[in-house]
Amino acid sequence: MTPLNTFGAIMSKAIELESALADYYGRAGDSERARASEKRRQKMMRIRREAVLEITLEAIVGLDSDDYALDLDDTSESGQARVASTAARFYREVAPGINVRQARSALERAAREHAGE
Amino acid sequence: MVERLKNYIGGEWVETGSRDWSPVPDPATCELLAECPESGAGDVELAVQAAQTAFEEWRRTPVLERAQFMHHFKNLVEDRFDDLSEVVVRENGKTLDEARGEVRRGIESIDFGIGVPFMMRNDGVEDISSGIDETTVRQPVGVFAAITPFNFPFMVPIWFLPTAITCGNTFILKPSPQTPLSMQLTCELIDELDLPEGVVNLVHGGVTSAQAIMEHPGIAGVSFVGSSPVAKIIYETCTRNGKRVQAQGGAKNYIAVLPDADMESSVKNVLGAAYGCAGQRCLAAAVAVGVGDAYDSLRDELVKQVAGLRVGYGLDETSQMGTVVSAQARERIVDMITEGEREGATISLDGRDLQVEGYEDGMFVGPTILEDVTPDMRVAREEIFGPVLSLMRADSYDEAVELINRSNYGNAASIFTSSGAHARDFKYRVNAGNIGVNIGVAAPSASFPFGGQKDSFFGDLHGQGMDSIDFFTDRKVVIERWFAG
Repeated sequence: MTPLNTFGAIMSKAIELESALADYYGRAGDSERARASEKRRQKMMRIRREAVLEITLEAIVGLDSDDYALDLDDTSESGQARVASTAARFYREVAPGINVRQARSALERAAREHAGE
Repeated sequence: MVERLKNYIGGEWVETGSRDWSPVPDPATCELLAECPESGAGDVELAVQAAQTAFEEWRRTPVLERAQFMHHFKNLVEDRFDDLSEVVVRENGKTLDEARGEVRRGIESIDFGIGVPFMMRNDGVEDISSGIDETTVRQPVGVFAAITPFNFPFMVPIWFLPTAITCGNTFILKPSPQTPLSMQLTCELIDELDLPEGVVNLVHGGVTSAQAIMEHPGIAGVSFVGSSPVAKIIYETCTRNGKRVQAQGGAKNYIAVLPDADMESSVKNVLGAAYGCAGQRCLAAAVAVGVGDAYDSLRDELVKQVAGLRVGYGLDETSQMGTVVSAQARERIVDMITEGEREGATISLDGRDLQVEGYEDGMFVGPTILEDVTPDMRVAREEIFGPVLSLMRADSYDEAVELINRSNYGNAASIFTSSGAHARDFKYRVNAGNIGVNIGVAAPSASFPFGGQKDSFFGDLHGQGMDSIDFFTDRKVVIERWFAG
């Protein structure tokens, strides 16, 4: 159990996830998605640095990192679909817990991008 | 061998003549991070000499050029954002999110400093009398010093430094000896700026160096943030020595929760206000007043949410609350809780015996809620500066305002309500320098003055905002006439 109970924990999970996905898509031969993940990783790092608002930091409840485990060994088409779906679900579920508009928007957008919307 | 800190004077890292060194431990792990010297009057004298020498050249440096240094400074701080945040966690004990938020707030003050050229502009009137023009000019004053506290070791010094020097003054910084490392790293970044030597100086130490700063005739003004008794001493000593002074003191911040408040959202925010930075901030919520029917639901929701808070090492991102700063702080807070219990308060949540696995010797105090607190109790009157929230009842909104205004402190007060009429009345009547409406931590951003009334502030001009431009400059009036041919 690794709770995603703070702004930093969620943003760090997003950074870690995109870093892993950049590597994963690279191995799967999808350089476009690998680049997109790397771009999102950098964006999430910037947001973790810039969008943290000390006076409105609030505890976040009900989210756990273990619920978003990715099978990064399976680079087949169906494996990629499962990975993208889990990533989209992660972003969709964590975004409402964030009370900083800029960060929440970025997470919602990442959900849409992973879902191919 | 643990690092023994040096002062930064005249662009050089210099050893002090100190024989007294205080340990700087990580309050969670108890690892010794450094030793901080107790600089003496001689060290302060060297810093003043360097700052005075630098002043003449620095005030002649065009203000746009001075602001450029702030651009570069901001870039360096951004580059080292993560390192600075980690240092704040390690020396202070707060969580990484809180430290990042602190460094971000500091960067806001650098941004404000970058805007000094705009804010130093003059005003004037042509033909104030026949053929006579009258203008005002803002001029730098000289050497300023800041004596800053342990609770925001990066942010508070940076409230003052960028504005002071971009206005053309030179600066001496004396951070808290409990948390000197954030400013140590900051001055390493300042050293990379290649500012003229002596524009920024760092003097480590405690009471001895603070006393020397207050009494030195070469220092024009002092900014201070700390407890009220010390703020009062700083104010009195500095004014007696002919200095400008802004001395921000302690607080006992009240939050009034009305029955029409959105209870779940309000409590989430009250919780952040009371337990953020382990309650060690001058804007922390110390007393929550439940008005009428709100009391029971406020208490129930608070106990439910606070009990779920995860206390742990600040560098672990799943920690929602870190340590207090020291063993002495921990002991004082625990004693205050016990005193509250002795005076008749009920302890709904007791953080006195909290142990955090893996950090058994850490300076942890768990989130604590005291119920049935009455205005005469010590816990209602005195600043605890720890993760302790006292709950009080008020039968009416007016009674809540009366309770708040009875406090000797006036740093901040907040109201949680969905009533615009009550919110407006609260803003109007409550005697506190920073008012929050559905905001538990009423912290002004860098472009607004950091308010404070009663025993929470001693001085005239507050830190931050246009007040700081007034504090760090003198307005000279020029009346001129030119004879034609």
